[in-house]
Amino acid sequence: MIVKDVVCPFCGCLCDDVEVTVEDDRVVAVDNACTLGTSKFLGDHRLPGPIRRDGNGWKDISYDEAIRYAVDMLLDAERPLLYGWSSTHGEAQCVGVHMAELVRGVIDNTTSVCHGPSILAIQEVGHPGCTLGVVKNRADLIIYWGCNPIDAHPRHLSRYTRYADGFFLENAFRDRTVIVVDVRKTETANIADEFVQIRPGGDYAVLSALRAIVRGKTDTIPRSVSGVPREQLLRIARRCKEAKFGAFYFGQGITMTRGKYKNVRNAIELVDELNRHTKFTISAMRGHYNVYGSNEVNTWMTGYPFGIDFARGIAFYNPGETTAIDVLARRECDACLIVASDPAAHFPRPCVEHLAEIPVVQIDPYANATTAFCNVQIPVAVTGIDAAGTAYRMDGVPLRIRKVIESGYPSDEEILSRMYAMIQEVRSE
Amino acid sequence: MRVTLTVRPREKPFLPIEAETIVPRNFLDGTDTTVWRGNRELPLDAVFSVSVEGNAETAAEVEVVMRGDTALIKRVGEYMDAGRIVVEGDIGMHCGNFMSGGTIEIGGNADGWLGREMRGGSIICRGDAADYCASGYRGDKKGMTGGVVEVFGSVGDFAAEHLAGGTVIVHGSAGDMAGAEMHGGTLIIYGDCTRPCANMTGGTAFVHGTAYDMLPTFRRVGTIRREGRTFIQFTGDIANRGKGNLFVGDCRYMD
Amino acid sequence: MSELLIRNACVIDPINGIDGETMDIAIRDGRIVEDVNDSTAEVVDAGGALTLPGGIDSHTHICGTKVNFGRYMSPEDMRAGRTPRMGRMHATSGYSVPTTYGTSYRYSAMGYTTLLEGAMAPLEARHTHEEFLYTPLQDTLANTLFDGNWAVMEAVRDGDTKRVAAIIGWTLSAVKGFAVKLTNPGGTEAWGWGKNVSCIRDPVPYFEVTPAEMIQTIVRANELLHLPHSVHLHCNNLGTPGNYSCTIGSLGLIPDLNDRRQTLYATHVQFHAYGGSGWDDFCSRSEPIARFVNMRPQIVIDMGQVMFGKTTTMTADGPMEFNLYRLHHNKWSNHDVELETASGIIPVLYRRKNLVNSVMWAIGLELALLTENPWQCLLTTDNPNGAPFVRYPEIIGLLMSKRYRDAEFATVHPETGHRVPLPAIEREMDWHEIAVMTRSGQAKALGVLEIGKGHLGVGAEADVAIYPIRIDEVDPSVEYQKVVDAFRCTDYTIKRGRIVSRRGECLVDGNNTTVWVRPKISDSYDMVRDEEFVRKFDRYYTVRMSNYPVQEEYLRRNLWRRNLCIETEAEL
Repeated sequence: MIVKDVVCPFCGCLCDDVEVTVEDDRVVAVDNACTLGTSKFLGDHRLPGPIRRDGNGWKDISYDEAIRYAVDMLLDAERPLLYGWSSTHGEAQCVGVHMAELVRGVIDNTTSVCHGPSILAIQEVGHPGCTLGVVKNRADLIIYWGCNPIDAHPRHLSRYTRYADGFFLENAFRDRTVIVVDVRKTETANIADEFVQIRPGGDYAVLSALRAIVRGKTDTIPRSVSGVPREQLLRIARRCKEAKFGAFYFGQGITMTRGKYKNVRNAIELVDELNRHTKFTISAMRGHYNVYGSNEVNTWMTGYPFGIDFARGIAFYNPGETTAIDVLARRECDACLIVASDPAAHFPRPCVEHLAEIPVVQIDPYANATTAFCNVQIPVAVTGIDAAGTAYRMDGVPLRIRKVIESGYPSDEEILSRMYAMIQEVRSE
Repeated sequence: MRVTLTVRPREKPFLPIEAETIVPRNFLDGTDTTVWRGNRELPLDAVFSVSVEGNAETAAEVEVVMRGDTALIKRVGEYMDAGRIVVEGDIGMHCGNFMSGGTIEIGGNADGWLGREMRGGSIICRGDAADYCASGYRGDKKGMTGGVVEVFGSVGDFAAEHLAGGTVIVHGSAGDMAGAEMHGGTLIIYGDCTRPCANMTGGTAFVHGTAYDMLPTFRRVGTIRREGRTFIQFTGDIANRGKGNLFVGDCRYMD
Repeated sequence: MSELLIRNACVIDPINGIDGETMDIAIRDGRIVEDVNDSTAEVVDAGGALTLPGGIDSHTHICGTKVNFGRYMSPEDMRAGRTPRMGRMHATSGYSVPTTYGTSYRYSAMGYTTLLEGAMAPLEARHTHEEFLYTPLQDTLANTLFDGNWAVMEAVRDGDTKRVAAIIGWTLSAVKGFAVKLTNPGGTEAWGWGKNVSCIRDPVPYFEVTPAEMIQTIVRANELLHLPHSVHLHCNNLGTPGNYSCTIGSLGLIPDLNDRRQTLYATHVQFHAYGGSGWDDFCSRSEPIARFVNMRPQIVIDMGQVMFGKTTTMTADGPMEFNLYRLHHNKWSNHDVELETASGIIPVLYRRKNLVNSVMWAIGLELALLTENPWQCLLTTDNPNGAPFVRYPEIIGLLMSKRYRDAEFATVHPETGHRVPLPAIEREMDWHEIAVMTRSGQAKALGVLEIGKGHLGVGAEADVAIYPIRIDEVDPSVEYQKVVDAFRCTDYTIKRGRIVSRRGECLVDGNNTTVWVRPKISDSYDMVRDEEFVRKFDRYYTVRMSNYPVQEEYLRRNLWRRNLCIETEAEL
């Protein structure tokens, strides 16, 4: 059987034109998806059932036992951390927020290690953005700054920018200009009309210089800024002002390098300034397919997109303090529930060391680097393959992710709802 | 009146304590108050051994002395309006948030957000202060609006971010982007720093040492003499309509 | 079977002609009935307190992409209104854009039981519906945006009203919307190029239709679909001096096409009633607008009252928000939605000491006081644009008391008096008029009387608000503070026969309904079968047509959650 218009649960592009061939409740072929998406659909080696650490080995346990363990762990903790959430559906995230509120824990998602700085910048100056289709249909100038979509978001170029024809652009490849700005010549830079190479750590100064130039203050700009010649800066500024519609996309090349959110703020303020001359938008290249959904869910339920501390009953937000890396590195938390993410593979060493010292439960379909630090792991269905739910695309467009096979695994939402119900029972006593 | 709070040994020493109740005024009514350890509310004397000497009629007459392992105690002196807090060792995050009067003296180091959104009074830190010393809160335009923060050691990144009023003095060096977005007040750094006053729109900053990676969007005005030293004077940030003044002993660009 | 009996209620129910009569209200299984079993029914003694149908807000921004972005970008607003989890109530955050729970609890405390989200982009409708699920104590409906819809504009250009109706009908059903919203029609498309339309005769770039053509055609299409609500219009040129003539021009386009309700609902008219040629001679033009409305039963407006203080402005009117940003230099967000619409958000502070803000404050009140028929001017702040909805009680006080208005007027910018007619207006509204302006008028204008909203007659949905005030003991003209306090917090808010809120404490976790429309359209006008529509959809949207409609899962039902589809017979 072929299922059409399947939504790909890999990256923030959330391509929804994938065709999946299913035989005997197994995905056997995938069309239209990129290699990253395809490999996720074809992923294998699921953990068969819940496991509990037993000395140096593992013991199979039932879902009931595993859930009981997780509930007791959260109820006992004085500062539980509930982390992950970006690779599961919104309905599960909602239960997670309710649970964090009830156990008075800290809830954070993977935003804090990717585009958290983008959000901090937006909280300072706002965000002039648009949906991806607006760019596809209108934009005659695209800037990719500190991101490499060919590697990380392979279909961004073909669906929305370089190779995507749109309503006002009959021939996108010819009619669109693509500028790539990065510290090294990436694969994406190879298909750009212009490449701007910046010395590492110099993004902020280049953005400031561009703002000044767009404001007509060119005389103060020196011959070279962070490795970029003045002439090139003047040319880029002119191209931006002359565009009918410009779209600026950025990635971790500016969010996770020196200056972090100030880089993003500077980029946003450049776009604000350009809007006095033409139409310009800016957007983050979000990674996990539903990290943006996790921000949305957290925001409507708690008021804040990530890094929320419920220790005092109210929602407190202070990235740098209430974010997972900081809570772990400072060894503040005394228990950790991890859902749909793999912190041991990405977090700095002191964080992982602390995970080894406290009780940890992971809800995840696969054994991963974090498994080694878990006391209990509970396998679940993969959203988009054997579970359905809501995800938000990198531009905020919500889509319903489909279930294409029946696996028998419970979904994240089912496991979390059972946990929440048990916690409610204890807390209402 | 002197209230001495000595931290008791804790079973889980890394669990942070939130103690915004440790403010001189609160002790006029006695020491029957609470603090929070993680998500548990505890009586003050479960975390501290408490001793009180003397009497006080007003908050200004109250001195709070904090001893022992105070490095993870957060929010001490929040909304403080009068009196004195002396921390003999290190202090946790958010010490002196929103403080409007009185004095906080820290013998050791201060963690992040020291004197966040401070309105008045003074904070003296003998050691180093971490990131966001004398800064604002996420999303708010105005950071510190009044008072003095003086750090004898060095400060981390984003010191005096969104500074709108008052004075911040750093005797050592500052990290990256001190005085970012500042629009009022005075920032003085006796040591070095990188990228000072990014996107400033107003206020005055002095860097006695060298400003590394100086931003290209500050306009050089000339030189001045002050306190027997020569400073290069800049205005900016011209990435915006900035009318701030930045004086640096020396500077280097990333070209 | 559950029964509830409210005794000694001093009822004002304008739809049923009840004006301050003390009576009992019997409720069975969520509906108002003739009587219940006195011995077994749960009894609430109202003690002679003012009892009204549940409040209805016919234009508020509470759920969806734009609202949530207002929260997302404003941690400083979030910390301004935080409450912890207590009893059945979840933690809340936010003042001008509260979290969904915050919105729901605070509205419920004020006696509101039904809310219409003012602007939902069809492409992002799923988001609005998700947030509706977490707005547990009110029934919710969504205005659906068509102001920059490419297919609609093309059909308007071709003069094909039936095709316009067919596209709107398909879209409303697909996205589970309730009504047609036009926000700065044509202007949001022009904003795709950083431009705007100045008024109803400016052509939209490329599409070559004018806002006037769009408004006229879509109003007729709306009637072809027999939708419960009329077209809901946010006029062009919001917020600029002299825009009142554009507003009158827009209202003048509207014939009287419906005998049950208005033909056009013009929203937040305060923002569209400005005189002057610039900010220097900025002044009120509420009088010509109110005069115009008084002569035309086919028009209903809402106030869009401004109250002094901090708030967040958010609208689909992207170009207007950019202009505001250029005035305020505060943070600015914008979000254009492909083939459909736009939006913008900026925080603002309305100050008494600011002349323009003072004039704006006066205009909203003037519109209400000068519109003779309260059924034609409803109470709103365009929450949160003019002020957060928690300010409604003060507005009620101002409308009921000349003395209160004068006291406030003494504190605004001293030059305001030369620019507004407010000081000369003597009218003081009575309890009945307030009831019309806060619930019954909304029910009629939205066309939801038929599903039992906005009144307390037998068969109505048992949504009831009991306010702690005795109207026979209080003179609102003098004791306006008592009126304000009473409207801040009910003794009881009852939703479909259940007590959901008691003196501000919300007692249940959910009791709500999503109300949406499905016009029945013949196959020949079914857009899914229209080759050109499908071809363009596939080419220009970035979402597949099969993934576009909001699935039934987003209208989840359980014991206390309903999904109410109003089916209409379209003339197609």
